[in-house]
Amino acid sequence: MASVTYVDPDGSRRKVEVPNDESVMRGAVNNMIDGIVAECGGGLACATCHCYVDEAWIERVGEPSRTELEMLEMVASERRTNSRLSCQIIVTDALDGLLVYLPDSQF
Amino acid sequence: MTTPIPVRHNIPAHVPPELVLPIGLVEGPEFLKAPHAFMASLHQTHPPVFFSPSEYGPDVWTLIKHEDCFHVLRHPEIFTSKTSTPFPRDPDNYFPMVPVEIDPPDHRKYRAILEPMLTPAAIGKLEVKIRKLANDLIDEFIGDGMCEFTTAFGRPLPVSVFLDLMGLPQDMRDTFVSWAMGLLHSQNQAEMQRAMDDTCAYLQKVIEEKTRNPDDKAVSAIVHGRAAGNPLTAPEIFGFVFFLFIAGLDTVFATLNNIFAWFADNPERRHEIISNPQNINNATEELLRVFSVTFSGRSLTRDYELRGVKMKMGDRVTTVLPAANYDPDVFENPSEVDFNRVRKPNLAFAGGVHSCMGAHLARMETKICIEEFLRRIPDFRLKAGTKLEYLPGGVVGPKVVPLQW
Repeated sequence: MASVTYVDPDGSRRKVEVPNDESVMRGAVNNMIDGIVAECGGGLACATCHCYVDEAWIERVGEPSRTELEMLEMVASERRTNSRLSCQIIVTDALDGLLVYLPDSQF
Repeated sequence: MTTPIPVRHNIPAHVPPELVLPIGLVEGPEFLKAPHAFMASLHQTHPPVFFSPSEYGPDVWTLIKHEDCFHVLRHPEIFTSKTSTPFPRDPDNYFPMVPVEIDPPDHRKYRAILEPMLTPAAIGKLEVKIRKLANDLIDEFIGDGMCEFTTAFGRPLPVSVFLDLMGLPQDMRDTFVSWAMGLLHSQNQAEMQRAMDDTCAYLQKVIEEKTRNPDDKAVSAIVHGRAAGNPLTAPEIFGFVFFLFIAGLDTVFATLNNIFAWFADNPERRHEIISNPQNINNATEELLRVFSVTFSGRSLTRDYELRGVKMKMGDRVTTVLPAANYDPDVFENPSEVDFNRVRKPNLAFAGGVHSCMGAHLARMETKICIEEFLRRIPDFRLKAGTKLEYLPGGVVGPKVVPLQW
């Protein structure tokens, strides 16, 4: 279990408890956080669960896979070095306190 | 509400009588007259959740709200897709439709086998080939001043792309076209069975051939693929290949037929696309929204309540994706085709873990067909006196689209 904080573009924050082995994307979708769309439900087939991982967390979150890097080329909002697809970030106890920023748009 | 319910239906006791509303989805006269307008109108005429007995398929809870459909698709733990495909199979020789009938977490292991071939980058490599294919087809009929769009273009183009992706020979094109028609749109049981037998025999032969001679195409990838380290079983391999045949052939076909029938009647909208080439992706997305062609079925893994309606474990649910894409709560003036609409989740390719694997390919094929056809033949109309008739069945599109220019 980890508590994950999602920050909207307007700065508002939502903190939710996400069970281990769930993705950061599912944590958002299950808690009605609309900034994550996740059209393909974690299939690595769209790029609508884009988030920016807080710099303090980037190493603990790990590296994106090749397919994820390819999909990140499609994100609608600016792609940054800390851009990730939230469906690919799997929650563990080590991510307790994770902070992710949501982009302006997922399309 | 006055439509009589056929006697064969045993409406389960937990379904409130006022919610039993047969709408004849995919086969009734109102649906067949103008399917998309009919599905759009359900938001005015029907409650968001109702129970529709069907003449041909199972009796189902019918969902039309975008929010509800997306919710169902996003929660496979409540709404399973196991045995949800209404495609009849021989119980003695059963095969699962892979990966659509497999729930998470196993689902991903199967889907991953084809993923590398269907990423935007992989699909992008096909663009030049598809553009040439579109032009070769147009060359065959442009001088005639007319064509029957569905057979001259709508059918052969996606079939050719499919054969290429699967690693099958292009000279099978016309045979595949006739199988697809027999299998998916025949009104004759014997004809359908023959198409099924021929298709199965051929696909089985191809599977054997690719087992011996691997290549870098889809059938070979499935035959030699591993799901979490284990080879697929023979029924899984067959079910995967067969599912791609069902899913990949008819959907782009129906989409193109719907779009070009609409283009024929809307010359000013065609010209809007021609004069805004930089907006082609938005235009394609909007056309996919208003002309979504398919549905997604699920079954409940437990009792569940949705918008106050109590459903029971084992009940079947259909998400009417074309209706969801006309939900006025999500798309303002939903019946207006607006090429500058703010993008929202479009359920044309369903959603959740089973969202269409071929979505990037389908989007690109549709876009290229619009660009190339309108570039070569910017002005056309339906042949005088044409009244569009629609094919019954789970993929929504007109039977024939005779065009003149």
